[in-house]
Amino acid sequence: MSTLENTLPAPVRTAPEEPLLQVRDLSVAYGPTEVVHGVSFAVGAGKALALIGESGSGKSTIARAVLRLLGSRRARVDGSITVQGREVTTLRDREFLPLRGRVLGFVPQDPGSSLNPVRSIGSQALEAAALVPGAGRREEQEALVRGAFERVGLPDPQRIIESFPHQLSGGQLQRVLIALAILPGPTLLVADEPTSALDVTVQKQILDLLDSLRRELGIGILLITHDLSIAAQRADEVVVLQQGRIQEAGPTSSVFTAPSAEYTRSLQADVPGLNPDRFADLRAERDQKHPLTGDQRPVEPDGRQGADAQVRVSGISRTFRTRSREVAALRDVSLSIPRGRTHALVGESGSGKSTAARALLGLETVDAGTLRVGEHEVRAQDRRALREVRRHLQIVHQNPFTSLDPRFAVGRIVREPLDLYRVGTRAEREERTRWALEAVRLPQELVGRRPGALSGGQRQRVAIARALALRPKVLVLDEPTSALDVTVQAGILDVLATLQRDLGLTYLFISHDLAVVRQFADTLSVLRRGEVVESGEVTAIFDSPQHAYTRELLASVPVRGAAGVPGSPDAPDAPGSPGSPGSPGSPGSPGSTGPLPRAQELQI
Amino acid sequence: MSTTATLPESTEAPRRTVRSSRGLLGAAVGRSAQALVVIVLAYVLVFLVLAAIPGDPVSAQLDNPQAGFSDAEKARIRSFHGLDQPVLVQLVVSLGHAVQGDLGLSMATSQPVTQVIGAAIPSTLRLAVTALVLAVALAAALGLATRLLPEGRLNDLVRSLPTLFLSTPNFLIGLVLIQVLAVQLGLFSLVDSEGFASTVAAALTLAIPVSAQIAQVFITALDESAGQDYAEVALARGLPPAQVVLRHLLRPSLLPTVTVVGLVIGEVLGGSLITETIFGRAGIGMVVQKAVATQDVSVLLAAVVLSALVFVVVNLVIDLLYLLLDPRLRPSEVSR
Repeated sequence: MSTLENTLPAPVRTAPEEPLLQVRDLSVAYGPTEVVHGVSFAVGAGKALALIGESGSGKSTIARAVLRLLGSRRARVDGSITVQGREVTTLRDREFLPLRGRVLGFVPQDPGSSLNPVRSIGSQALEAAALVPGAGRREEQEALVRGAFERVGLPDPQRIIESFPHQLSGGQLQRVLIALAILPGPTLLVADEPTSALDVTVQKQILDLLDSLRRELGIGILLITHDLSIAAQRADEVVVLQQGRIQEAGPTSSVFTAPSAEYTRSLQADVPGLNPDRFADLRAERDQKHPLTGDQRPVEPDGRQGADAQVRVSGISRTFRTRSREVAALRDVSLSIPRGRTHALVGESGSGKSTAARALLGLETVDAGTLRVGEHEVRAQDRRALREVRRHLQIVHQNPFTSLDPRFAVGRIVREPLDLYRVGTRAEREERTRWALEAVRLPQELVGRRPGALSGGQRQRVAIARALALRPKVLVLDEPTSALDVTVQAGILDVLATLQRDLGLTYLFISHDLAVVRQFADTLSVLRRGEVVESGEVTAIFDSPQHAYTRELLASVPVRGAAGVPGSPDAPDAPGSPGSPGSPGSPGSPGSTGPLPRAQELQI
Repeated sequence: MSTTATLPESTEAPRRTVRSSRGLLGAAVGRSAQALVVIVLAYVLVFLVLAAIPGDPVSAQLDNPQAGFSDAEKARIRSFHGLDQPVLVQLVVSLGHAVQGDLGLSMATSQPVTQVIGAAIPSTLRLAVTALVLAVALAAALGLATRLLPEGRLNDLVRSLPTLFLSTPNFLIGLVLIQVLAVQLGLFSLVDSEGFASTVAAALTLAIPVSAQIAQVFITALDESAGQDYAEVALARGLPPAQVVLRHLLRPSLLPTVTVVGLVIGEVLGGSLITETIFGRAGIGMVVQKAVATQDVSVLLAAVVLSALVFVVVNLVIDLLYLLLDPRLRPSEVSR
């Protein structure tokens, strides 16, 4: 720590009455289209202000306007931006350049793509250090880099310096990027969704780091996020944006205890961490409609018990071998899912949850153990039997931007499984396609569109419709909402919960977001290094986690346990009250929770 | 981090890459072996194709009744060149000799093939290397200009040049250059085809369309790199825009560009045939042209193998350049 104080230039502190960053009446237009309309806010030294909104709300555009990254030819910026009392919108590019990095630091969204992949971390760090005034000599630059790396808690700086970006994890890369941002001693950091690409535990560490930089170095932070729980926990003030307009602004505590704007309330209702019981009603109706029958006890590794479970995975193991070492991706993993229920697989990246899902789908062979779906055994080697199993077993992938063929129209995408399995006549397939689109609440006029013309949420609905088309019994949901905004996520989860209620579908739900798991799943397995460290009822595990790793995961969930944050599960008067799925204000779930449309009895 | 940084099997854990010289050397050896196979295959293929063409050079020259050779003499000459053997035997014999560096005698002139080809190499080499250097330099200049010039008319003009270059036929550029540089300005003599100015003019003829292809890929790659997050982050860090281009955009953009350079080598070799004719240079192109006219199989074979050799060596160099340019491609311990 002392190295840092010796080497890093101290941020210039401004007089308290002068905010670090003052934005007044900012408007941004691309050509004739104005996307940000008259936005004003101010960030003080050592303070954090959060810009909140869905994608398309203009929050990233505002950040880029402040940093002048929009490209003057394409975007027109009106209004006033002052940095330490100095108007910057009228500066020429040459005059603005010294502010970049040295006064205004930037922490990007996706650490994986924000460092040059073909250059070593060291060369990029030294390049940043060379821009610091007074650090002319190589030794001074190296000292700056080391100091910054130590400050952000990077172990073994020398190894980091010698590494290339692809050799580090996302969390390490984000630390490197934060180190490079604070290295010239900026007074303000603009952090654009700094943790949305990271695992929950890593997310908490990065946010803690930003907090400590703010407190100890007096850096002001402009935090851009779509995650209300992060804003609630980390910001002094929040500005809620919708379609480029401020809906609400003020101190965090007042905005969250007494949101005045309808939009803020609906946003809050969509945050999983703030509304653990959002789907409770739907699930209660489901339990009435599809009660559990038979032996549904959890399976043992040798396959005993749970004979009537829809999915039975007993003692599967899988080891990947490379030339020089072995990696156990799965070790003796067992789980079972009763018919019509949801089981969540939880763990960080690399924990083996995706391998387990791939094994269940027959996309990955296992070294030991058995997998059963209904009366079928899943064996990756037996292609014929697999084809039969897959009729009843479909998957919804994580990223709807890459899982749909961009050349196919929506109708063809949804119909494709029916064509492949030669289900029914042409007319019947069309009918089934319409039914599937209706089931995911997509308007029929989208049938002729291609994925490129759809939003992320619409694409994911198309993916779900495609998985539904064959009327499967089991859906594997591989992080189905992690690429989506909270609002869109809430809509998708509502669709899935409704489908389960009406069709009795069984879900294997893979997620790293425990808040969503709590809302959505019945039972849960926590995977770590390919091993199940804890499993059981979701409520039981959330109330009294047994394993240290589970406790760590739970502690990383934003909001939960954050003292004094209104709307946390402990607060009795949580807005967007429990059990109000599809409340009128949530745009992601039009006309939700009604029973499935006609044709659901369609027998083909 | 504390819980995960020590787990080797988690993606959170650092993936170590072995950057030992053995890894690079191993890759080089492996690819050289592949290259050798390619050359032998090229030799065999060309041999079989030429054997399948009706007639042979001896008949072409001696069947003329005025030459006055008896059938016995013709048979003796054929057997001297091994043409009376079955094709497969001929192939094995000639391949065996070729491996030892003996490419046989020209069937048209009875000179050793190595001599015929060897005499033509320097001229073609000078032309091809100059052309390639010019093409790369031109493409680099065009590409960098699109990034360093401010957006506007001039930039748009630069961006349209490759298409213009590409749509202009090679021989037209050559004739215009000769007309302007040699005839009107008198910068070089048409008689002294190996002089510096003449070589540059010929190389330019060859280089312009080739540079257009390289420039198109280079410009696209630069545009793509410019849209990457790391370019924006570097800019936000305070790096002057020109430095962002040179330090951050250039190297990633070289990867696809280098591939194209490898592919256009073939074009440079093929194009030299036409260019040498226009500029009257005694290079490989000229030799090949004569060999085709006289069905001189052994010379043609040697020329083809030479081009295959050049192609293979160039692509080997490019593969290795790739490993140098992109650390992600270097052999690593863990392959995911």
